[in-house]
Amino acid sequence: MKKILAMALALAMTVSMAACGSSGSNSSAGSAGSAGSAGSAGDVSSEGNADFKVGAIYINSKSDTAGYTYAHNHGITTAMEELGLDTATQLVIRDEVLEDYDAVATAVDTLVGEGCNIIFGISFGYMQAMNDKAAEYPDVMFSHATGYMSNDTNFNNYFGRAYQARYLAGIAAGLKSLEMGNNNVGYVAAYGRQYAETASGINGFALGVQAVNPDAVVYVKELGNWADEVNESAFAKELIESYNCGVISQHCDSAQPQIAAQDAGVFGCGYNSDMTADAPNAHLTAAIWNWDVYYKTAIEAAMTCGGAENFVTAMGGPAYYGGLKENFVDVSPLNEATVAQGTQAAIDAVRELIVSGAWDVFSGVKLHVTVNEDGTATVEQEEAPLLCDGQELVDGALVERDAQVVEAGGPSVEDGVITGTMNYFVEGVEDA
Amino acid sequence: MRFHVVKRDSCPLWKRLALYVGAVAAALVLGGLLLLALGVNPVAYYSRMFTMGMVGNKIAYKSFENYLKVFVPLVLTAVALSLAFKMRFWNIGGEGQFILGAVAASAVAFQAGPVLPGAVTLLLMCLCAMLAAGLYGTLAAALKVKFGTNETLMTLMLNYIALYFLTFLGETKATWNFFLDPTSARPIFVSFAKTVSFPRIPMGKFGLNVCVLFTFAVGALVFVYLRSTKQGYEIAVVGDSAGTARYAGMKVNTIVLRTVFLSACLIGLAAAFKVGTAGILSTNITDDVGWTGIIVAWLAQMNTAVIFLVSALIAMLQYGSDVAAATVSQVDSSFANMLQGAILFLVLAADFSTRFRVVLEGKGGRKHGA
Repeated sequence: MKKILAMALALAMTVSMAACGSSGSNSSAGSAGSAGSAGSAGDVSSEGNADFKVGAIYINSKSDTAGYTYAHNHGITTAMEELGLDTATQLVIRDEVLEDYDAVATAVDTLVGEGCNIIFGISFGYMQAMNDKAAEYPDVMFSHATGYMSNDTNFNNYFGRAYQARYLAGIAAGLKSLEMGNNNVGYVAAYGRQYAETASGINGFALGVQAVNPDAVVYVKELGNWADEVNESAFAKELIESYNCGVISQHCDSAQPQIAAQDAGVFGCGYNSDMTADAPNAHLTAAIWNWDVYYKTAIEAAMTCGGAENFVTAMGGPAYYGGLKENFVDVSPLNEATVAQGTQAAIDAVRELIVSGAWDVFSGVKLHVTVNEDGTATVEQEEAPLLCDGQELVDGALVERDAQVVEAGGPSVEDGVITGTMNYFVEGVEDA
Repeated sequence: MRFHVVKRDSCPLWKRLALYVGAVAAALVLGGLLLLALGVNPVAYYSRMFTMGMVGNKIAYKSFENYLKVFVPLVLTAVALSLAFKMRFWNIGGEGQFILGAVAASAVAFQAGPVLPGAVTLLLMCLCAMLAAGLYGTLAAALKVKFGTNETLMTLMLNYIALYFLTFLGETKATWNFFLDPTSARPIFVSFAKTVSFPRIPMGKFGLNVCVLFTFAVGALVFVYLRSTKQGYEIAVVGDSAGTARYAGMKVNTIVLRTVFLSACLIGLAAAFKVGTAGILSTNITDDVGWTGIIVAWLAQMNTAVIFLVSALIAMLQYGSDVAAATVSQVDSSFANMLQGAILFLVLAADFSTRFRVVLEGKGGRKHGA
């Protein structure tokens, strides 16, 4: 808005140089107002917590109806309602806060000034400011999504084992590729090896595909951007047309890749939310986040831990990293119209292995999942090394590395690697 | 029927003020109706907005510190832009000059910070930021002087070059890139050494950043420069008519280059103050001051003292709307932005009508309308 006004002024100044004469008309573009009201729960807050306030710092608008900020806001309001807190009076939100140190620090000051007891920040670039502010306000609890900074008392970070949900979605994609007789699977990704978040998602998905279709190849196209709807669609089309991919998976915000898959008559796996409504003839299932699971745990801990200095202890450590077991991540209900026969049985069998803790994705044990004639699934475990393609990304350049990531029968890759430094693709993943 | 826009000779001050106040009131009424439609009490909302949420805030002093962090870069940029605007050089490259200044200041902070004392580093940061921004601005001026290029387009396009350069620095992990944190797997800017930060003068809990004092000093200097020096007079003459200036024996090209350099230098200084206070770079470092500064300079009619007043009000509007939106669940920051835009737009419309009048021209003779 300000930019438009400033440009109009620059134009007016240029015109006004010519003194009188031309008929000037000032144009302006008005931005649409906001609609939709955040749900307000009952009037009665639970006893004793009527003063408790939750603060949140969002990257996009709090009245969004889809996407990353929406998912978090939905999670926070759902959790607060379940805990009997009033979202109209006990939730304070600073939204559209840029990833700028001063902007985040100011937002935190505002929320602390409003009396917030716990402050959530959802964007990676908020990390340093939140880290400093946690030290400045020791009696307020801070919780930061997707980052890696924390302290021992009042500042933790949180993220989820999305790779587990990706593995399950990979099984659905792999079974579909078997059914189609097409071993080429596409993946539209915001980034590739640069971020552990994207690399672990791609690898988890590819291993899931390979568990049912060992011959499958996952072709990855990188957007170089977290949100880019035009290229999300264009890259999906290219994967379908040039790489003959029959299933399109994605790591980006919008449903464009799924819609492109539907238009081309192929199939796909979404991300973040159930995208079946966007592409009913293409979508198989999506790897999704249940943010309310974390927010409920954290707010409950914050209300009962007896002081901000106990928050990290109450959360069981400085880094919350829940997965399928906590129901923090999952796959959306299968789209029965599109999935291959036996997909539900195969996914359920593997889910049980992960939830029980008997097995995890990045370990030295490989799963072979087969769907039997009667629709049941058989899961065999084989001790085999976890192999990458022999390359890793260091300071922007691909360099050679040992192809063996985990020896046969070895334990899972450490959480710190999955969340922070995974900079390689597993075997069977190709750059497209 | 045709109509012409004709410049007014003058407009009495009381009339101007009445129009401005009326414009703000009209925008608030409009916003109030929208707030009512959302089920929000407009009076409560506006009182929070105009007090910047400081009433009943247990750390109100922090709010004022943060308000000053918005105010300082804005007022300095607007003062800087007014220098060029007075000369009718439409520098809308404030964003780009600010970014180059911020990058230069950060480079000094990383290279000199660990070896030199804090005060020396900060001084060097200011100087290098001024030089970098100044040269970037002069580039557009030199092209205009030499080849007659349009400075509005040129400075506008240079903004984007600077912005993408900054994004490139922020997203490119490499051994040469000392702007980024080497310990982070994901590219993030790294903080300066703790000593590289403008000191604050404690006043109880409140700490007054010395940049605020420097900003007022710079404002006073520019005021005197424009009003009482030969160079200031030259700027005014070139602004009124380059031909007259040439006829009077003034070296117009030199004056243009010098003034634009000075203008961009001050924007660089604003950037140095900003990063030297935040202690870290970011891709959103400008906070749009290069754009907002244009509105401020225009509303203040390039008058340095009035720029301080207008900046204070616009910074209040900006900061206050963010705070007010935070506590009302129905109102998001898009609404706050829209309200800000409505206020600015109507004030500018009022401002336009104090300077120009629309003359209707009938089929027959000439008719004059208000």
